[in-house]
Amino acid sequence: MRREWLVVGAIWAALTALGEFVVTNWSMLPDGYSREAEVVNEAYVLLLVLAVPVFTFMVTMLGYSIVAFRSTGAADDGPNLRSNKRVVWTWLAVTAALDLAVLINPGFVGLRDIRGTQSADMAIQVVGQRWNWTVTYDNGATSTTEMVVPVDTRIRFDVTSTDVLHSFWVPGFGLKVDAVPGRTTQMYVTTERTGDNADDSRLRVQCAELCGLSHADMAMTVRVVEQAEYDAWVENLKNNPPAGAQQAAAAAPTADGGQSDQQASASDQEG
Amino acid sequence: MRPLFRAIKWGVGGYLLGAVAAWALSGGSGSLNGPLAVTLGFILGLIGWIFGIGGWNHWGREWFGLPPRDDGKDDWRRYLRFNTDHKVVGVQYLVAFIAVLGIGGIMAMLMRLELARAGTDFMSEETYNKVMSMHGILMVAVAVAGILGSFGNYLIPLMIGAQDMAFPRLNALSFWLIPPVAVALLSAPLLGSFEAGWTAYPPLSVLAPGDGQLLFNMGVITFGLSSILGGLNILTTVTTMRAPGMTWGRLPIFVWAGFSASLISVLFTQYFAATLVMIQLDRIAGTAFFDAKAGGGTLLYEHLFWFYSHPAVYIMVLPAFGVSLEIITHFSRKPLFAYKAVVGAFLTIVGLSGIVWAHHMFTSGMANYFHAPFMALTEAISIPTGVVFLAAIGTMWKGRIWFTAPMIMATGWVFNFMIGGLTGIFHADVATDLQLHDTYFVVAHFHFTIIGGSIMGLLGGSFYWFPKITGRMYNERLGKIFAFWVTIGLNLVFLPMFWVGVNGMNRRVAVYPADLQRVNEFISAAAFLLGAGFLLFIGNLLYSAIWGPKAPANPWNASTLEWSVSSPPPHHNFPLLPEVVGHPYEYGRPGARHAVLSNAGATHG
Amino acid sequence: MATVTVEAAHSRAELLHQPRSNKLGLWIFMASETFLFSALISARFITSGVQKPEDLNQALAFGLTCVLLVSSISAYLAEAFIATGHRRAFLASTRITIVFGLIFIGGVMFEWREALENFPPGTIYGTAFFSLIGLHAFHVLTGVLALAVVLNLGAIGHFGPANSWPVEGAVKYWHFVDLMWVIIYPTLYLF
Ligand code: HEA
Ligand code: HEA
Ligand code: CUA
Ligand SMILES: [Cu+2]
Repeated sequence: MRREWLVVGAIWAALTALGEFVVTNWSMLPDGYSREAEVVNEAYVLLLVLAVPVFTFMVTMLGYSIVAFRSTGAADDGPNLRSNKRVVWTWLAVTAALDLAVLINPGFVGLRDIRGTQSADMAIQVVGQRWNWTVTYDNGATSTTEMVVPVDTRIRFDVTSTDVLHSFWVPGFGLKVDAVPGRTTQMYVTTERTGDNADDSRLRVQCAELCGLSHADMAMTVRVVEQAEYDAWVENLKNNPPAGAQQAAAAAPTADGGQSDQQASASDQEG
Repeated sequence: MRPLFRAIKWGVGGYLLGAVAAWALSGGSGSLNGPLAVTLGFILGLIGWIFGIGGWNHWGREWFGLPPRDDGKDDWRRYLRFNTDHKVVGVQYLVAFIAVLGIGGIMAMLMRLELARAGTDFMSEETYNKVMSMHGILMVAVAVAGILGSFGNYLIPLMIGAQDMAFPRLNALSFWLIPPVAVALLSAPLLGSFEAGWTAYPPLSVLAPGDGQLLFNMGVITFGLSSILGGLNILTTVTTMRAPGMTWGRLPIFVWAGFSASLISVLFTQYFAATLVMIQLDRIAGTAFFDAKAGGGTLLYEHLFWFYSHPAVYIMVLPAFGVSLEIITHFSRKPLFAYKAVVGAFLTIVGLSGIVWAHHMFTSGMANYFHAPFMALTEAISIPTGVVFLAAIGTMWKGRIWFTAPMIMATGWVFNFMIGGLTGIFHADVATDLQLHDTYFVVAHFHFTIIGGSIMGLLGGSFYWFPKITGRMYNERLGKIFAFWVTIGLNLVFLPMFWVGVNGMNRRVAVYPADLQRVNEFISAAAFLLGAGFLLFIGNLLYSAIWGPKAPANPWNASTLEWSVSSPPPHHNFPLLPEVVGHPYEYGRPGARHAVLSNAGATHG
Repeated sequence: MATVTVEAAHSRAELLHQPRSNKLGLWIFMASETFLFSALISARFITSGVQKPEDLNQALAFGLTCVLLVSSISAYLAEAFIATGHRRAFLASTRITIVFGLIFIGGVMFEWREALENFPPGTIYGTAFFSLIGLHAFHVLTGVLALAVVLNLGAIGHFGPANSWPVEGAVKYWHFVDLMWVIIYPTLYLF
């Protein structure tokens, strides 16, 4: 009896140690480019750390039972053990405590870190339409092919859509917010690290809400640069708008032309 | 077979009538597959089909005071007509939904073929969207009605000692509503605009040209009706038809699971129907539910949709809880651990399921003050669900574990559903969900919960009750191989999806960043392996149903009532009336019994 | 013989439970329908709050409300009469109920002709108005059909004090449909 629990406990402890080692040393989440992405990463790792003992406990119990209590037929019965109040209540207490822990941190703490302050150094207007994004900077410059933002800046994105639902997501920033027709939604990002889409595909604006034919291609590259470089870039963008930027916005990128023309015109009528 | 042909004729006739009516209504300008024509046509076609298949014989004649008519002989053809025997309906459901699982699975294989490469090499984005939407909705249908329709119908009356469901005709009706749904869903892509995923978010589902979305709406509404009627039947049956002595505290756990799931489907399904009606009206009647310019809004849809569709995930999984716990109990040869706590957990899950829906909407732009409460409530669901897991391991502990194919499935269910459930917490947490929402992390989460939870319950139950239903044994060795295959294959396919998800791959795309291609290749290869495994399942069961060795009444020596009658059970289930005298799982107590079958029971009535 | 007694017991059991099942089934069905109505009612409040246009035909709506309320009384009488065996009175009350139902539907159609001009479905109030009233009118129609079936069967001699479930069921459903109107009416006209 005692011995059984010792074995189970030992296996559990060993598996848990192994699991915790893995999740704290091999993070699935690559580093982000914003403080928000860091909050997300921390929350994620914390959740993993808390999930590991639960997981290993169940695995241990399952595995041990299967191996130790194996039989080969229906001849013999196990003990007539219907329930055990102490076990049930302990289990409830432990899971409830765990739940509360998760709720407080990363739950409420993460929420505060991500949504806490509603102030920003600059604002960028974002419009989603099938199937591209238009970003407009303070100085009126617009871009549909690349979004450049300064590092170490708190940016507010004011996101909206002209036709269907889209979702404004930059994987490298760790956040997304839906672009909803008829409303403006907000997303705050504090950039922390410079980077270029050429080196990391997660630095892209990616539409994350199914919006029809070219949903997958509704993306544009992102660059996080030093403030000076940003200033120069945005000034240049204003003075020399890329040729045909407006037209590019109207003609959606397509995989197969016929269908998408039809769809674009349909959205024109309604939108 | 005659009724079937008549039903097809009347169904097609109904469709044409509706189409012509629509044509006339629109002043002769519409076509035979315009929006209104599809809508009216589907409705009249559905009515025609139902009347043809048996509605007229079983209700219509009665309404007009005519005497009922005999259905025909009880040979194999009884499976192809409107049959009120709950065992026939159960088999009809089982076969139909395993076939749908197959079709949905083939869609998955096509998707994986496309996703093996980062670009669009195999199919266009348009086709991909259609295949993906089709996969989603078919599989959701399987998960929602698969277990409840088949084992729910077949076994609940047997388990509670009743001779049939409370409303046998309604039961047959809920099954025969399904074929038109299948026809509608499968033909919807042909009419275009079938690209909004199973969630059918407007405005996309309103704006997309082509009428496929209309058929999708009508089909899913009909499916909802079927699921409501089925739930109603189960609730009533369990409440009013229990055998003498079968108190609520003595119900087998699968009955409780079906009961809880039915509570959800009876109430919440209406919200799905309502949202799709709104889309339908926006499309054909020009209403403005989701037209932001006129003052409507898409958040309305999301709220109403998830108010059903979150509870729906527990419609999918609760019956599987029941099946798996049932299997674990009988094959551990120990009473179900903490029976009462499990029942309490089921009912708590039902209650909580209705108040967590907005965890699907953390990025939707809804008011910020919704986030904290919905996060808290969602995470609270892990407490009752945890009790189910406690029951599973508590039952196995010190049992006499007989490691048959169903038992392997059930333990695999504990393992896989746990991964699904624990990753659910990552979504319930707002901070992480803002990143993970609409990525492959979600896809991985719900395949672990749906396949690991619901489908493994369906598969495990198929093995466990196979001898009861067919009267023959399946091949145990192949069954075991398959059970391991699914349990492990599932992990090979879906564990890497967590990784691609956090590395920036969003869902519902045919093209993705090239640096994720290697992992996707692996996923696709594993998916084909998993898919191939199903041939083993289908082959084993088909072969065994015809040529398998004859099964005794109770091959597992299990204690619940369905095993006390012959395999397959006789027409009225119990030649001798059962009287329940004890707990369903009295293992390990010599002389204890769940029920006695006796002639004397007859006088108890 | 054993089988005979078992068969007999089966049918006796059936007789015992069937009325309970029928009642319970109907209640569950109505609970389910309540959710359907609540979905559309909440849609009305979510999209347009309590705003409503000037040119609602308040008088007509009030009149129709009264018609439905009165019809609930006649429906109740129909049920009471058949339960006590007064077939003629039962048939008459059922007929009256059906006529009230038809008047209601006629009134709705009349109202819709005006409404289509004043606040078409493309407006946000029109959306709520047409969908809610349409859903409800559809239920009234099915209620009328159910009563018509009951009337027809009653006229050819079905039902009696011991066997009045179909009447009771149809009437309960009718009350339910009325109750929904009692909620829809203020939702659309009064708030
Ligand atoms: C069978 C179906 C099923 C089930 C049972 C679940 C169960 C759960 N789901 Fe899942 N979910 C889906 C199917 C399912 N889900 C689907 C289909 C989607 C995607 C829909 C779409 O967008 O297409 C989805 C999406 C989804 C989201 C939205 C993600 C997003 O789009 O951003 C969230 C967010 O909270 C979520 C959470 C949960 C939680 C917390 C549970 C919980 O019920 C899990 C509880 C279980 C456990 C936690 C494990 C066992 C417990 C213990 C061992 C006790 C100890 C544990 C603790 C104390 C933590 N799910
Ligand atoms: C019951 C639920 C269920 C099941 C079982 C599955 C099973 C599988 N799913 Fe599915 N999936 C969903 C429910 C389900 N899925 C849902 C709801 C979505 C969301 C859709 C949306 O976004 O709208 C989704 C989306 C989804 C995606 C994401 C698509 C995207 O976002 O772009 C992917 C990608 O890999 C995927 C893959 C798979 C795979 C590889 C399987 C494999 O497990 C399949 C294994 C194979 C089979 C089960 C069948 C094999 C049968 C045979 C080989 C022959 C037998 C034949 C007959 C009987 C005729 N699924
Ligand atoms: Cu825009 Cu997806
Ligand atoms: Cu959910």
